Amino acid sequence: MISLQRVSKDYATPAGRFPALREIDLTIVAGEFATIVGRSGSGKSTLLNLIGGLDTASSGTIDVGGAAVHGMSEAQLSSWRGRKVGFVFQFFQLLPTLTAIENVMLPMDFARLLPPRQRRPRALELLARTGIAGQADKLPSALSGGQQQRVAISRALANDPELLLADEPTGNLDSETARAVLGLLRGLGKTVVIATHERDLKADRTIEMADGRVVR
Amino acid sequence: MTAPLRKALRDVWQERTRTALVVLAIALGIAGLTAGLSSYAILVRELNRGYLETEPASAILRTDFVDDASLKEVRAIPEVKAAEPRRVLNGRIKAGPGQWRSLVLFVVQDFSGIRVSKLVPQAGAWPPAAGEILIERDAMQVAHAKVGDLVTVRTARGQDVSLRLSGTVKDVGQAQARMENLVYGYVTLATLSQLGETLVLDQLHLLVAQDGFNEAHVRGVAEQVKGVLEARGHLVKRLDVPAPVKHPHADLMSLLLLVMASFALFVLLLSGALVLNLMTALMASQVRQIGVMKAVGGSRAQIARIYFAQALVLGIAAIAVAVGPGLWGGRAICRAMAVFLNFDLASFAVPLWVFACIGLTGLLAPLLSAAWPVWKGTKVTVREALTDYGVSRNSFGTSASDRRLAGVGGLARPVLLALRNALRRRMRVALTMVTLALGGLFFMTALNLRASMIGTLDALFSTMKFDLSVSLSEMASAEQVERAVRATPSIARAEGWIATEGSFPAPAGGERFPVFAMPPKTQMLQLNIVSGRDFQPGDTNALIASSALAAKYRQLQAGKSVRLRMGPVVQEWQVIGIARQPFSPAVAYISRAYLDEAGGHAGMSNSLRIAVRDGDVEGARAGLDKSLEAEGLRALTSNSKADSRTSFDQHMLMIYVVLIVLSCIIGGVGGLGLMTTMSLNVLERRREMGVLRALGATPRVVWLLVVAEGTVICLASWEAAALLSWPLSRGLGRGLVLHAFRSGMDFTFEASGLAVWLLVSLLLAVLGSFVPAWNATRVTVREALAYE
Repeated sequence: MISLQRVSKDYATPAGRFPALREIDLTIVAGEFATIVGRSGSGKSTLLNLIGGLDTASSGTIDVGGAAVHGMSEAQLSSWRGRKVGFVFQFFQLLPTLTAIENVMLPMDFARLLPPRQRRPRALELLARTGIAGQADKLPSALSGGQQQRVAISRALANDPELLLADEPTGNLDSETARAVLGLLRGLGKTVVIATHERDLKADRTIEMADGRVVR
Repeated sequence: MTAPLRKALRDVWQERTRTALVVLAIALGIAGLTAGLSSYAILVRELNRGYLETEPASAILRTDFVDDASLKEVRAIPEVKAAEPRRVLNGRIKAGPGQWRSLVLFVVQDFSGIRVSKLVPQAGAWPPAAGEILIERDAMQVAHAKVGDLVTVRTARGQDVSLRLSGTVKDVGQAQARMENLVYGYVTLATLSQLGETLVLDQLHLLVAQDGFNEAHVRGVAEQVKGVLEARGHLVKRLDVPAPVKHPHADLMSLLLLVMASFALFVLLLSGALVLNLMTALMASQVRQIGVMKAVGGSRAQIARIYFAQALVLGIAAIAVAVGPGLWGGRAICRAMAVFLNFDLASFAVPLWVFACIGLTGLLAPLLSAAWPVWKGTKVTVREALTDYGVSRNSFGTSASDRRLAGVGGLARPVLLALRNALRRRMRVALTMVTLALGGLFFMTALNLRASMIGTLDALFSTMKFDLSVSLSEMASAEQVERAVRATPSIARAEGWIATEGSFPAPAGGERFPVFAMPPKTQMLQLNIVSGRDFQPGDTNALIASSALAAKYRQLQAGKSVRLRMGPVVQEWQVIGIARQPFSPAVAYISRAYLDEAGGHAGMSNSLRIAVRDGDVEGARAGLDKSLEAEGLRALTSNSKADSRTSFDQHMLMIYVVLIVLSCIIGGVGGLGLMTTMSLNVLERRREMGVLRALGATPRVVWLLVVAEGTVICLASWEAAALLSWPLSRGLGRGLVLHAFRSGMDFTFEASGLAVWLLVSLLLAVLGSFVPAWNATRVTVREALAYE
């Protein structure tokens, strides 16, 4: 499903070149529930961004579900992400002027995989799946953190992607809500990759990173 | 409705206060454009319709008289649709014991059968009976009379006759009577007889049958008619072919409307700067949202469409707000123009092309203004958008100019903060300053133009050493004039001139212009000679051209000789000088020595220049009338210098009133821009204000900081406007006057304009910053610190 070969990522900073990832080789198989763990600055978020096409590698090749992500233009990446990848962020990143259900419909509007008439029922179905259908017409500001993250997960599933990437999805939630959200992610039956600080998170596979390298 | 469209609409709603300001600014431009375009469409249509309905004469022949046989023969020409004899006399009119007014009297052979240059009855009797006079509706105010009054009319050869003012008519072909300070009167042949004038109609008004818009054809037909008259032994003194199908003032009106429409587009351009500011700020505040949308699959084009939709909403809202007032304004302009040009409006219907233009411009203006910020804003990568950089690379302090500004010291900390804050968003501040500075520039330019016009007119009138200019109905001898002057105690001194008309023989010219023959050592006119020299005793065939005449005929150069036609005689004249006479018509001055010697008019005059004692112009006017009567002479017109000056001022008033109004509109847009800028600045710095408050700044200090920031922007714009107003006023004034009057203008800088605009700027600063400053102080410290 995901294959990275000799992937490096450097950032130019005022202090000089900063290597965020160094020569990463990694494979994650379809359906795997994987976590990437490591300290702050270890490169886990960068790795997740490269897999999801949110950022481009300085060198190396990235193949996700048969697509050569490293060779795509910005426009191609947008289109590919919308169809193939779902993202869940630490701060939920819901659009404040759209209601919960509209936030979920947004990727459908962009990707246009479903006819307009079917988008709302599907969004409602996804919200129901994450247990938040009752809040569908509320604006994000009226929802709790846990509720917002459930909406964000629903949004990530909008176009039925093969891959779900989550960057610290529970970092801003209390422990009980965090457990519920993780349970939700685990039960999706999709390839899920989570970048997290929590080393004891139960996963099919745990990838440990330090100083831009996979150490375990 | 899709989620992206909903987002676009809700974002606009969320920013409704700022959006409203920007919409208002765009609306000002669109309203101006609507007013300009709609009035243009209506006026051009109505003026032409109204004018053409009166069947204006295709050509006018001035002859000795028109007899029935000639008229019959002319009417038999197939190319002639209609031919009517008329007569136009100059005279004076007085209502009751009031003051005499200049009268242009039209004599019509048959009021009930007018087919050329038609008159439209407005009130009272139609047609007028013998002993009655009709007056042009706009001239009623000049005549100070009402229908039913008895008025006294005096013509050149007749006696004072009382006529009943029996009605009013509309004569579209005449210039506005109030502006010209003239009364247009209409009488029958029977009344002409009562006035003591010879029963002669000396003009023939022609209407060609076909192809009336073809000037060459019209001229050809007129020449044919001229041939008929000459073949019958008549002397055709003049043949005039007015510009076909065009009201005499149509060009002036089009120019005024073009200026207005251009200005409206300019305002729209300035309001575009506000859209640019708003969209730039919006894009900056939505970076993270853009990142999220990209993360969930939105392409740059899809996301850009959301923001373009917002710009479109601004345009639609502005059009909705502006079209009504714009159309209303257009109607007001039409009404004013209709009064100015003296015609009626049958319909205010606005053609579809006007709405199409407004719609297109109103939608395109914000879209184009938003293009750059939207395109730049949506370029951000997901990683950049979602990463918290802390102090951004574009923050204040990262450029060399910021660091230089940071080195500025010696001021109180809050003032330094206001100064630096004002320059944080340079593009935004620059655009705001440009709008404000332009408002100031227009305002100061308007005042400078006004001062320069007044100064130039003062200089022009100071060359005229007379108070009263009187034209006589016929040539008078020097002795007669001298006796009449001596018998009038209010006259200090007088000079006799000869006023006539001249033209340059074809191919050089043909158009007639006034020629004044005056004594070489005249005490009444101190010509401002800009080239060559003034008259000297001994000059005979010497000619001095006014600057307007010299600009019209390039052959008029000091030292050269020209052939000038006066009456039937063509004579060689030596151009000895060019006299600068700004705002004046083309005139030639000649030494009267030639007319005295060769012309057989020794010592005679038909035009008097009079200086009065103790400013008693009215006493001199009335006294001279009587004295002239005693000498068997008659004053045909009598104009005081003050009357002429008033007429000049009336024409000029329009120009600077328009300029002041325009500068107020731009100032208004500038004020809206400042308010938008300050509200965006406050919004973006909400967290900083929280920090200031946490550090102990009272709400009043925060309020003062914001107002001080606005003041810095306004003062900087004032300075820019002040620096530019001098060269602009000078250049614009010279260009305008040169274009309109073919003469330059003495430049005067109105220093009070600087002070007035400084006050206006400070007022705008306080008004523009007040609401944002007040909002800034309403936010609690906790809210401000939590703001993202």
